[in-house]
Amino acid sequence: MKEKILKFENVKLIYHTVRGETVATENLSFEVEEGEFVAMIGPSGCGKSTLLSLAAGLLEPSEGTVARQGSVGYMLQRDELFPWRTIEKNILLPLEIQKKLTAEAREEAKKLAEKYGLKEFLGSYPAELSGGMRQRAALIRTLASKPDILLLDEPFSALDYQTRLNVTQDVAGIIRREHKTALLITHDISEAISLADRVIVLTGRPARVAHTHPLDFEETDPLKRRENRQFSVWFELLWKELNA
Amino acid sequence: MKNISKPYSEEHRLWLNKRRGKLAIVWTLRVGLLLFFLLFWELSTRFGWVDPFFVSSPSRIAETIASLYTEGTLFYHIGVTLLETIVGFVAAVALGYGIALLLWWSDLLHRVLEPYIVVLNALPKIAMGPLIIIWCGTGSKAIVFMTILVGIIVVIMHMLSAFLETDENKLLLLRSMGANKLQLLTKLVIPSSRAAFISMLKVAVGMSWIGSIMGEYIVSRAGLGYLIVYGGQVFKLDLVMTATVILCALAAGMYFLVVLLEKILVKNTKN
Repeated sequence: MKEKILKFENVKLIYHTVRGETVATENLSFEVEEGEFVAMIGPSGCGKSTLLSLAAGLLEPSEGTVARQGSVGYMLQRDELFPWRTIEKNILLPLEIQKKLTAEAREEAKKLAEKYGLKEFLGSYPAELSGGMRQRAALIRTLASKPDILLLDEPFSALDYQTRLNVTQDVAGIIRREHKTALLITHDISEAISLADRVIVLTGRPARVAHTHPLDFEETDPLKRRENRQFSVWFELLWKELNA
Repeated sequence: MKNISKPYSEEHRLWLNKRRGKLAIVWTLRVGLLLFFLLFWELSTRFGWVDPFFVSSPSRIAETIASLYTEGTLFYHIGVTLLETIVGFVAAVALGYGIALLLWWSDLLHRVLEPYIVVLNALPKIAMGPLIIIWCGTGSKAIVFMTILVGIIVVIMHMLSAFLETDENKLLLLRSMGANKLQLLTKLVIPSSRAAFISMLKVAVGMSWIGSIMGEYIVSRAGLGYLIVYGGQVFKLDLVMTATVILCALAAGMYFLVVLLEKILVKNTKN
């Protein structure tokens, strides 16, 4: 049996404002196993980003428990590279924060960057890179601290369509090759189908798990999946469930 | 973008030339405007269109500067004012920046002190004149105090709003990496407020001159502000104009130093 990297159990979260309170999620339970790529989709405004903040331990649940094995790496909609740092310094940022920046760790991070084609950009500033390259650098930064689980908050939604397909391909390939566990949150059904091993469909607010579907594709390549006949079948099903 | 060195096209060369030409015109007009103004000023007093007793003239200003120089007091007065301004400027920036950091750090402190800062900002500092004389005496100390008083609130408000505008997503990212508050400050909040720091310096330079001259109006026995007040009292308007012109030059010089600093900082980060 594989280890559970992340486990939500009957999680409830209440948002407080002066005007009142909102129950963002209630009775939410799910797990992510080691090496698994899980995608979560839900109707807009169901508090998807809140779930990631809970998963990252940045928010405490009002009720229930969030159990996490190991460290998290967070990837946001925009690359959020620091413009005053070179790509190299950006990539080393998490190591710097966690005070793990040994000569060895530095070499390892640089090797990872080189492996994925960032070598010539290490001395450049983010403004000198294309959107796709920047998002790749953001992924390498996330991987540099060797997180046990990647939390992806719609990491491709800020890119134009063509770049987006390419970057999705790119990022998926890297995550698979590095055998990383990942939890992707998105509103894009086809993105979820093309990337994940398992798709979790959430209800509207308060968010709960409506359905869970292990995907039965043989290949993990996102573009090949999009060509698969099963793709549209899954799309239709998830579309219906999402709008139910 | 990395520049790939290759010969420019004819069109690009023409475009560069045109651009250079425009820049030359702007500079010619700038300098021309100054020369025209000086010439007109000089001639209108020579031909008796206006009385040089009231408006002075470029040649009389030059004479005044020369006589101050031979008396040996020119650089003394400049030095006194310059020192007061610079000490006040540096102190206001350092103290103000520190207080802004504290207010960023403690939300409670920020919320408690906010109305006081707003009131202090609105208060005309000159109203504090008599108090300052009693507290600090009539020497340079009082003038530096006035300079700090005029500058510090602007520094605090400017920097605090820059600190508070730090990108929420970048803060979230750092927190997810496990950053503590000090790390948020040093890795993100301070570096991302660099542009605001430079624009604050530009404002603070102006404020420091206001502070030091205002201070010299109230209490002083030396300095450019003193020359202006003294000149006004004895109707030596040549002296008033001379001190004003020197003040213009000094303020411009200090401003350009800040611009130079900006260029160096921007060059080091490219952003």
